[in-house]
Amino acid sequence: MAGDLQIDPDEGPEKNIEDSQEEMPEVLEGPSDDELVLKAQQGDVHAFDELVERYHSKIYGLTYNMTSNREDAEDLTQEVFVKAFEALPRFKGKSSFYTWIYRIAVNKTINYRKKRNRKRALSLDQFDQEIKTDDVYHDLTSKGSPLRNISLSELQKKLNEALQNLSEKHRTVVVMHDMQGIPHEEIAKMVGASVGTIRSRLFYARRQMQSELSEFIK
Amino acid sequence: MEAEVLLNKLMHLKRYETPDASRMVRNKQNIMRGVRQAQANQRQPLLDRLENSMPWFFAEPRYGIAALFIAFFGLQYAGINARQSATSTGIYTSSPHVASIDRQAASVETNRYPNLPGNYRLFADPEGDASVVPAGFEYKK
Repeated sequence: MAGDLQIDPDEGPEKNIEDSQEEMPEVLEGPSDDELVLKAQQGDVHAFDELVERYHSKIYGLTYNMTSNREDAEDLTQEVFVKAFEALPRFKGKSSFYTWIYRIAVNKTINYRKKRNRKRALSLDQFDQEIKTDDVYHDLTSKGSPLRNISLSELQKKLNEALQNLSEKHRTVVVMHDMQGIPHEEIAKMVGASVGTIRSRLFYARRQMQSELSEFIK
Repeated sequence: MEAEVLLNKLMHLKRYETPDASRMVRNKQNIMRGVRQAQANQRQPLLDRLENSMPWFFAEPRYGIAALFIAFFGLQYAGINARQSATSTGIYTSSPHVASIDRQAASVETNRYPNLPGNYRLFADPEGDASVVPAGFEYKK
C-alpha cells in the first residue's frame, strides 16, 4: 500500500490536460479583491456584488459537481454568498477572499449533504456545444476508443454517479483539483489538511472512480 | 496507466457541463436580494425599523398623526376608566338573596351572635343569651 502512495497521480501523459486546467483566480481589471472586501465590510453592497460576479461561476461549479444537482447547487451557491456577506465583518484577511469563500462553500456543501442524508436524483446541466470541438472529445469518440459507442448523455450520467459514490472528502479533492484545476497547496489551505493528505485522497478517489467506471475504462 | 488517462479525459469533458445562463442571472439576483436582506437585518436604525413595520404612517404623515391622536385619546380614556374602576370595585349581582354591601353593612350587628340556620355553629354561645364577647376578652366563670 505504501508503494501505491508513492505514485504521483500528476505524473504521466495526462499531465498536459491538468496543466491546462490550472485555474487560479485570474488577474482581473478594476479593484483588487482586498479593496472590494474592505468596501463590502464598510457596507458597500455594490462591492460585494462585484465579488459575486467574480466568484459565482467557481462556487456554482464546486457545489454543482459536489451534488450533481443543479437546483441544490443554486440554493447552496446562494447560501454561501449570503453567509459570506454575514461573516465578512469577521474576515481578517489572513487568507485570500477566494480561499475563504471556498472554505465556506466546501463546509456548507458537506453539511447540506449530511443533513439530507440521502442521495438526490441527478439533475445535470447540459453539455456545451463546444465540446464537439475539443480534441479530448474527438479522441474519446474516435475509432478504437472504448467509449466510441456510448452516448454523451449516458457517459455524463455514469460519470456523475461515480462521482457521487465517492466519500465527501474524496469527492471534494477530485472536484477541486481535477475539475476546477485548483493546485494541491491551495486545496490543502481550503480544506485544512496537509498537501500529502490531499494527494493521497486524490489518488484513492481516482482509483475508486476507475473502479466505478470500469465498464468504460479498460 | 491507460485507465487513468481515460479517466482524466472524462473528467476533462465534465468541464463542458455549463449551467443555463438565464438561471445563473436569476441566481445572482437572488444572492444580492439575500445580501440586501441580511444587511437590513444586521443594522437597522430604530426609525428604519419603524418605517418598515408601519410604512403607511410615513407615506401619509397626516393620517399617521391622526392615528397617533386617536391612540393618545384612547389611552387617556382607558386611563380615566381605570382610575374610576379602582375606586368602585365590587361584586355586581342581581340576586335578591344577596344584600348590597352598603345595606349589609348597616344591618350587621357585631355584638350579637348571628342568626344562623340550626346546622351551623360558629362557636359556643358564651353567655347563653345570644350576646357575643369581644375578641381578646378572657371569659372566666
